[in-house]
Amino acid sequence: MRQTFLPGEAVFLVAAVLFFAVISGCSTTAPDPMVENWQLSVNGTTEKVLTMNDLKALPAVNGHGYCVSTTGARFGPYTCNGVDLRNIAALVGGVGSGQQVWVSAPDGYLWVFDLDQLNGEGFVTFNENLTEIPSPPLHIILMYEQDGKPLSYDDGGPARIAIVSEQPGVITEGSAWVKWVDRIEIRD
Amino acid sequence: MGGPDRDTGLRTIALALVLIGILLFSGCSDRVSQTIPLKVIAAGSLLAPFAEAEKEFEAVHPGVDVQIEGHGSIQVIRQVTDLHRAADVIAVADESLVPDLMYRPMEDLGKNYTDWYLPFASNEMVIAYTNKSRYHDEINQENWYQVIARPGVRLGFSNPMLDAAGYRALMVMQLAEKEYSDPTLFEQVIADHFPSTINVSTNGTTTTIALPEIIRPSDDKVVIRDGSIYLLSLLAAGGIDYAVEYKSVADGMNLSYVTLPASINLGSADYAGQYRDVTVVLGFPRFSTIGQQRSGRPIVYAMTIPANAPNPGLGREFIDYIASESAKGRPGWPAPLAEGAAA
Repeated sequence: MRQTFLPGEAVFLVAAVLFFAVISGCSTTAPDPMVENWQLSVNGTTEKVLTMNDLKALPAVNGHGYCVSTTGARFGPYTCNGVDLRNIAALVGGVGSGQQVWVSAPDGYLWVFDLDQLNGEGFVTFNENLTEIPSPPLHIILMYEQDGKPLSYDDGGPARIAIVSEQPGVITEGSAWVKWVDRIEIRD
Repeated sequence: MGGPDRDTGLRTIALALVLIGILLFSGCSDRVSQTIPLKVIAAGSLLAPFAEAEKEFEAVHPGVDVQIEGHGSIQVIRQVTDLHRAADVIAVADESLVPDLMYRPMEDLGKNYTDWYLPFASNEMVIAYTNKSRYHDEINQENWYQVIARPGVRLGFSNPMLDAAGYRALMVMQLAEKEYSDPTLFEQVIADHFPSTINVSTNGTTTTIALPEIIRPSDDKVVIRDGSIYLLSLLAAGGIDYAVEYKSVADGMNLSYVTLPASINLGSADYAGQYRDVTVVLGFPRFSTIGQQRSGRPIVYAMTIPANAPNPGLGREFIDYIASESAKGRPGWPAPLAEGAAA
């Protein structure tokens, strides 16, 4: 004998299908307009505006990054991928002796680096226990990938400052890790 | 198998599918919490007392999870105003920051981030040290400024760009020049130990300390760290001899310290006019929402509840609890607020 579904059963089945359709929507990834619309203004002796593709076309630096807040909260460790700040500055004339690099973000945050810091010097470094340790060679990068993935907004994406080293477990002070960077200026 | 059995089976399968869907869907979003979170964002010097209060408050408020997060005071407020994060209680180490940064309209709600604050405690600056500190057996209230100026003695304070305790340390040293009639004290202890110029200028009774963009000492006399916890580590390890700290922090860490005269310790409303005579101009505007100038004033802690707080009623209860406990003068907490001390 041929069986037929009752209306209530049909509703249940449709509801189940709809649920699975919604569930599948939870896991899909769409192109990120935040990244696509991001632009970086770089001002020195000349001016340039970089897109994410422009940034990624520059030589990449990989390293270990780990930072700590003023109150001792640690963020990381991360593997970081980005572009050395010196290479970005070089696009607009570079950074000379006595000049500084002002890095800012649309949330109103600004941090300033000098040439020594661009060369990886003058940072305070800690181990996992927040005990100070001699600083290994460091690089300031504009990071666009963290742990192999595009940098999320909550982590300061599309691009943020990271201070990285080849050696894992080196913690630096977080005040310099500017999030959501959209402007770099070379100033006298 | 008969029709009714099959109907029951299909119904069971359909129900099971729906339930599985609900379970999986719930995994896509935040888990439903059984507790009510109370988000408190507080200045670093309040973290130790607030950690005590957290346990006590939760003990009498079952189902409430007090979540405390610490930053420098300006960053505390920026979490709400610039980064648009939800918070139930904001607590800062400088009451002036609340009206300066929060008495302005929110973008979406059309009302101010807040229109009020509760001053609830005060503090004062001290010179903290340990028994490893050079000349620790000599230093006292009369000679402290001479001891820290001695060759080989290392002084630490937090970064004025990042921490109110940092620019307050500079103010204390400048006020000490006048207090002890030693016009070279600031130079000897601080300014001479930076490669970039720290400009100190006087106009009438007002002295202005203008800092360079990069605050990196040129020798070991002065040590600057982002936050006071790092100074305390250095102090414990003997990496510095003395640190300019809040009295409550020194108390909380069981450190030895020299108290300073009320005329220079930034802890007394009676000397507010004198404190105002010193201004620090920071090297660059780290935050676009607040200027580079910090003027001397009595240290008064304040709390408020942002207009968009998820749990304002609970926030108010927490604020009232902190205020009542603070008034008791608990060890390691900022001092009770004297009558009329708030602005």
